[in-house]
Amino acid sequence: MAMDGDAEENSRRVQARFVTKLNPPFKVPATSIAIPSNLTRLGLSTIVNNLLQAENSDWEPLPFDFLIDGELVRMSLEKFLLAKGISAEKILEIEYIKAVVPRKEQEPSIHDDWVSAVDGSSPGVILTGCYDGLGRVWKAAGECTHILEGHSSAITSASIINPEGEERVTVATASKDQTVRLWKFSTEEPVNSRLKIRPFKILRGHKASVQSVSAQTSGDMVCSGGWDCTISLWQTNEINTEGDLVPIKKKKTNDQAGESQLEGEAVSTLVGHTQCVSSVKWPQRETIYSASWDHSIRRWDVETGKNVLDIFCGKSLNCLDLGGESSMLIVAGGSDPILRIWDPRKPGTSAPVFQFSSHTSWISACKWHDKSWFHLVSASYDGKVMLWDLRTAWPLAVIDSHKDKVLCADWWKGDSVVSGGVDSKLRISSGISI
Amino acid sequence: MVRAGKEKEKESSVAKSEKLKMKKTKDLKPLEAQLQELDTPTLSDSDSDSGSDSDSGSGSGSESDYDDFSEDDGSESEDYESLRDSETGRTDSSQDEGDVDTGDNDGLANDRSNEEQSESTDVHPGVEESDSSEDEVAPRNTIGDVPLEWYRDEKHIGYDITGKKIKKKEREDKLQSFLASADDSKNWRKINDEYNDEVVELTKEETKLIRRMLAGKAPHADFDPYAPYVDWFKWDDAKHPLSNAPEPKRRFIPSKWEHKKVVAYRRAIRKGLIKFDKPKEEPPVYLLWGDESNSTEKSGHLAYIPAPKPKLPGHEESYNPSSEYIPTQEEINSYQLMYEEDRPKFIPKSFTSMRNIPAYENAVKESFERCLDLYLCPRVRKKRINIDPESLKPKLPSRKDLRPYPTSCYLEYRGHTDAVLSVSVETSGQWIASGSMDGTVRVWEVETGRCLRVWNVDEAVRCVAWNPVRELPILAAAVGPDVFILNTGLGNEEEQERIRELINVKTTTSPDDSDNTASIASWHQDDKHGGIRLRHFKSVSSVEWHRKGDYLSTVMPADILFQHYLAIVVHQISKKLTQRIPFKLHGLPVTSVFHPTRSIFFIATKKNVRVYELVKQKLIKKLETGLREVSSIAIHPAGDNVIVGSREGKLCWFDMDLSSQPYRTLKCHPKDITSVAFHRSYPLFASCSDDCTAYVFHGTVYSDLNQNPLIVPLEILRGHKSSNGRGVMDCKFHPRQPWLFTAGADSVIKLYCH
Repeated sequence: MAMDGDAEENSRRVQARFVTKLNPPFKVPATSIAIPSNLTRLGLSTIVNNLLQAENSDWEPLPFDFLIDGELVRMSLEKFLLAKGISAEKILEIEYIKAVVPRKEQEPSIHDDWVSAVDGSSPGVILTGCYDGLGRVWKAAGECTHILEGHSSAITSASIINPEGEERVTVATASKDQTVRLWKFSTEEPVNSRLKIRPFKILRGHKASVQSVSAQTSGDMVCSGGWDCTISLWQTNEINTEGDLVPIKKKKTNDQAGESQLEGEAVSTLVGHTQCVSSVKWPQRETIYSASWDHSIRRWDVETGKNVLDIFCGKSLNCLDLGGESSMLIVAGGSDPILRIWDPRKPGTSAPVFQFSSHTSWISACKWHDKSWFHLVSASYDGKVMLWDLRTAWPLAVIDSHKDKVLCADWWKGDSVVSGGVDSKLRISSGISI
Repeated sequence: MVRAGKEKEKESSVAKSEKLKMKKTKDLKPLEAQLQELDTPTLSDSDSDSGSDSDSGSGSGSESDYDDFSEDDGSESEDYESLRDSETGRTDSSQDEGDVDTGDNDGLANDRSNEEQSESTDVHPGVEESDSSEDEVAPRNTIGDVPLEWYRDEKHIGYDITGKKIKKKEREDKLQSFLASADDSKNWRKINDEYNDEVVELTKEETKLIRRMLAGKAPHADFDPYAPYVDWFKWDDAKHPLSNAPEPKRRFIPSKWEHKKVVAYRRAIRKGLIKFDKPKEEPPVYLLWGDESNSTEKSGHLAYIPAPKPKLPGHEESYNPSSEYIPTQEEINSYQLMYEEDRPKFIPKSFTSMRNIPAYENAVKESFERCLDLYLCPRVRKKRINIDPESLKPKLPSRKDLRPYPTSCYLEYRGHTDAVLSVSVETSGQWIASGSMDGTVRVWEVETGRCLRVWNVDEAVRCVAWNPVRELPILAAAVGPDVFILNTGLGNEEEQERIRELINVKTTTSPDDSDNTASIASWHQDDKHGGIRLRHFKSVSSVEWHRKGDYLSTVMPADILFQHYLAIVVHQISKKLTQRIPFKLHGLPVTSVFHPTRSIFFIATKKNVRVYELVKQKLIKKLETGLREVSSIAIHPAGDNVIVGSREGKLCWFDMDLSSQPYRTLKCHPKDITSVAFHRSYPLFASCSDDCTAYVFHGTVYSDLNQNPLIVPLEILRGHKSSNGRGVMDCKFHPRQPWLFTAGADSVIKLYCH
C-alpha cells in the first residue's frame, strides 16, 4: 500500500475485514487485514480500491463510504472506535457502500424567473414552477418540452399526480393567485418546440395564496394548503360524472384551441391550523400530513376531517416530507437551520429523533429518497443543497452550485437531485449511487 | 404572699435550729447509722409536744397577719408612714426572732428544754442569742460557746445560771456502758449531751424528724411545701386607691442633701482639690517596630491612619546574599517580559565586600517621589461598603424561559438603493412594504425575500402603512407633501374590484372649497401609480391607519411658524373626506396613533403624550415623559400600556392605569431611538436606534391590576451598518411570529427570527 509509509509504522493497527452487499465486481476477498487505525474515509477507500484492483487490473477507483455497526465513519478510524466504545482488539467488520455523492453536474436549465417548485417523482419528466406564473416540463437538462400557462401569479408548488401513467401525465400546480390548476400533457410525442398547455381544471376556493399541493397516491384527489390556514381537498377527475357536490361551470376561454376549462370546488376543508399551511403531504389514502407556520405538524384523517396527531416544533415550518423506515418518519424544516426528523410512532414524546444542523439559514425544501430509508435531500436559503444519511450527523454531500437561495429540491430518477432557486436555474446533479 | 414568705422563713429557721442542735450533739453520727439500720423503730412517746407546736405556729401566724395589715395601712400619710416604717422594721425584726423561736419549738430543743425545765427549776438566759422567747428554756450550762475541752480536766462541766458549778457526772466505764447498752433496748436512742453532761433520749417524733431531714424533706409531716397559694387580697373591686393622700411636697423640691453635696464638690473643684485631666506621663521607652495601629492613644483619634509597614529587609537585601537568592540571567531576562507592576523592584546582587557596592542611582529620585507622595497623596480612609454586586441586580426571569423572541437574522430583503425609512407588515404576515430614501415603495414576500412590486414616486418615502383590514390590501405612503393610497394588486378579483372602486376619486376636491379643511389636503386620482394622491400643504412625516381601515391620520411635523393646530388631520377613505381633529392641539406633534381597540387617539408631542377620547372629543390623559424629544410611540395591543422612544436614546414605559409618569425608563441606546414597536400577540416589544442595533424586550402585562408589568431585556440585534450617521430606521414585529423586521439606513431590511 502506497500510503503505509514509515511514519505510520508505529501507529496502532486494527484487524479489519471488509464486507459489502454490493454485487460481485465490488466484492473484495473476505480475509481480515491489519490496517492502521488513524485511517480516514479516504484511506479506507484507497485500501478497498487497491484490493479490487488486485483482482481486476482495469478497475477504476471509486469513492466508498464505510459503515461500522450501522454508523457511517466520518472521522479517523481511531477516533470513531473511541467515540463509539468499540474494542479495537477484535476483528472489525467494516461494511462499505458506494459513496453517495453527485458525480456529475448537468447543464443548468434556465428559467425566466425564480424557480419556486420542482417535482421529480416521474422518471420521465421534471416539473418546475416559476415565479413568472408558468410551469415547465423538462425532459432532461435544458430540454423544456411543455410550458404550463395560466396562472396569473407565481407558482408556489407543483406536484405530478400520476407518475405511473407514462403517456399522459397529470400535474397540479398551486399559485399565489389563490388557485390550484390541473394540467395534462403527453410525454410520448417527441416535441422539440415548447408546447404551451392550458389547464384543464381550475380549483378555486382558497382565500389567500396557495402554498402547497399534494396528490393522493391513487391520483383521484389532491389537497392543498395555503395562507388562509386551511387545507382543501379537491377532485381531479376530468369529466364531472357525478355532479353531486361539485357544481362545475364550463367556461369558454379565449384560448385559440377553444379547450374547455373546468372549475372545481373543494370537496372538503380541513380547518385547524392557525397560520399559513406551508406544506401538505398525502402519502396514504386516508392520512394527510401538514406543516404550518403555527409551529405544528398535523396528521389529518381524511374520512372524518379530524386532526389526529399534533407535533409541536417551536419554529415555523416550510417543508415536510414522509419517508424513511416504512415511510413513517416525518422530516420537516423551517425558519431555522435545523432539519428535524420525527418518528410519530414513538409514544409520549414530540422530540425529534434526528436533528441535522449543517445549514446556515432557513430550510426551504426537504425530501426523502423514495427507495432508500436513510437518504434525504434538503435545500436551504444559504444556497446549499445537502444530502443526508440518517446514519451520520454530517451531510454526505453538499451541492453548492446555486448562487443564491435554493427554493426547492427533489430527487429525480433515484440517482439525481434537482433543485431550483433564486438564480432562476434548475440544476440537476446526477450520478448519485444509492 | 407575705404569709408564704413567713412560712418559708419559719421553715428555714427550723432547719437552722436543727443544724445548731446537730452541731451540739456529737453523737448524732452513730445515731444516724442506727436509724438507717432500723427499719421499724418501735417507739412510744407522748404526742403532747405537737399540740404546743401548732399553737405557737398559729400564734405567730396571727401576728404576721397583723403585720401585713399594718404595712398595708402605712401609706396613709407620709410622716406617719415613715414613723411606721421604723416601727414595723423593729417589730419585724422582733417577729423574726419570734419566728426563730417558734421554729426551735418545733425542734428537738423544745422537748429537751421541757425536760430540763422539769429537772431544774432554774431558768437560764439562752446561750443562743435568739432564745429569748418565753417558752424556750435555756440550757443548764452557761459557759457559752466555748470549746468543751477547756473543762476536760475540771471536776465541773460549767456553771448554772446562779453561778454554781455543775459537777460532772460519774463516768461509766466502757464495759459498763456496753453492758448497759446491750441490756437496754432503748440505748440506741440515747445521746450523750456533752455540753450539759446528760443523756438525752430521743422520742419517736424526734427520730422521725431526723429521718425526714436525712431524706431531704421538710422536717414536719404536716408541712406542705406545695400548698396552693391563696391570694387573700381582693384585687378586683378596689374602687378607691389604697391611699388617697396627695403627692407629698417632698417629691417636688430638690433634695437638700444633694444640693449640699454638689456645693461641696463645686467648692472643691474651684479650689483645685479635685482635678479631672491629669497629664499623662509619657512612657520613657516605646516599641519602635510595634504595630502602631493598635496603640490606644492614636487609634482613638478618628482620622489617624497608620502608615503601611514596609517589608523588613531580608537575606536577599544583603550585600552578599547566598547564591540561592541571586536570580539567574534567564530569570532576569524573564522579568523584562513581565508587566511594569509585576516586575520585582529589587534584584539581589552579590558583592564581595562593602566597598564594592556602588552608589544607589535612584536615591534622589526615590526620595523625591516619596516627598511627592507625602505631599500630594495624603492617605485617605475610603469609606467603602462591601456589597455583592450580584445582589444589586434585579431578580429577573431567565431569558431561556421567555422564549421565543427574535435572535438571529436569516433573511434579508435587498433591492432598495438608499436608506429604508419605514417598513410595514401586512396583517396576515405574508407581505411587507417598505419606503425608502431612493423614492420607491416596495412590497416584499416575507417567506422568500422576493420583491413583488415597486412604485417609483421620485421622492423620499417617509412612512408606509398597510391597511389593517385583510381584505383591503392597500398601502398608504407618505411622500413629501403627498400621501399615496396604493393598490398592491393582491387578493382575488372580487377584492380587487372593491379596492378599485374604493380608491377611485371621481371629483378632485379643489382647494377653494367652502370648508376650511379642504385647504389642508386635496384628493387627486393618481393614474401613474394606480391610487389616490392626497396632497397636503406641508410634508407629511407619518401615516397611521385606524383599526377599521377607513380612517387615516397623517402628521405634518410642526414648527413654530406653522399653524400647528392643523398638524394632524384625519382622512376618511370611503367618503374621500379630510377633517381636522376636533380638539385643540398643544405642543408640537411628532406622531399619532389610534388605540387598538377603543376610540382613543394618542398624539405624541415633543415632550408629552396626549390621549384624547374621540367620541367625547376631549383630553383624557396627559403622559409626562420627561424626555427631551419624543420620536416614536407604540401602544400595547391591550391598550393600557404605551412605550415612547426618544431622541436621547431613552425608552419610557407608561402604565396608563398606574400613573401619568413613566412606569419604567430604559436607557439602552447610546443614540436616538428611531422607532418602537409592540408585538401583537407575543409579550415582546422592541426599539431600534441610530446606533445600528435593535433591542428586544420581554414585556408581560398582567390582567391582574395589582401586578405591575414585567420588563426584561432580552436581546440586542446587530447586523445593520451605519450610513450617514443613521442606523436602523424602523422596526416592526411580524403579526403572528416572534420575528422582527428592521429597516436599515444601509438600504437593507432584515428579518430576525427566533
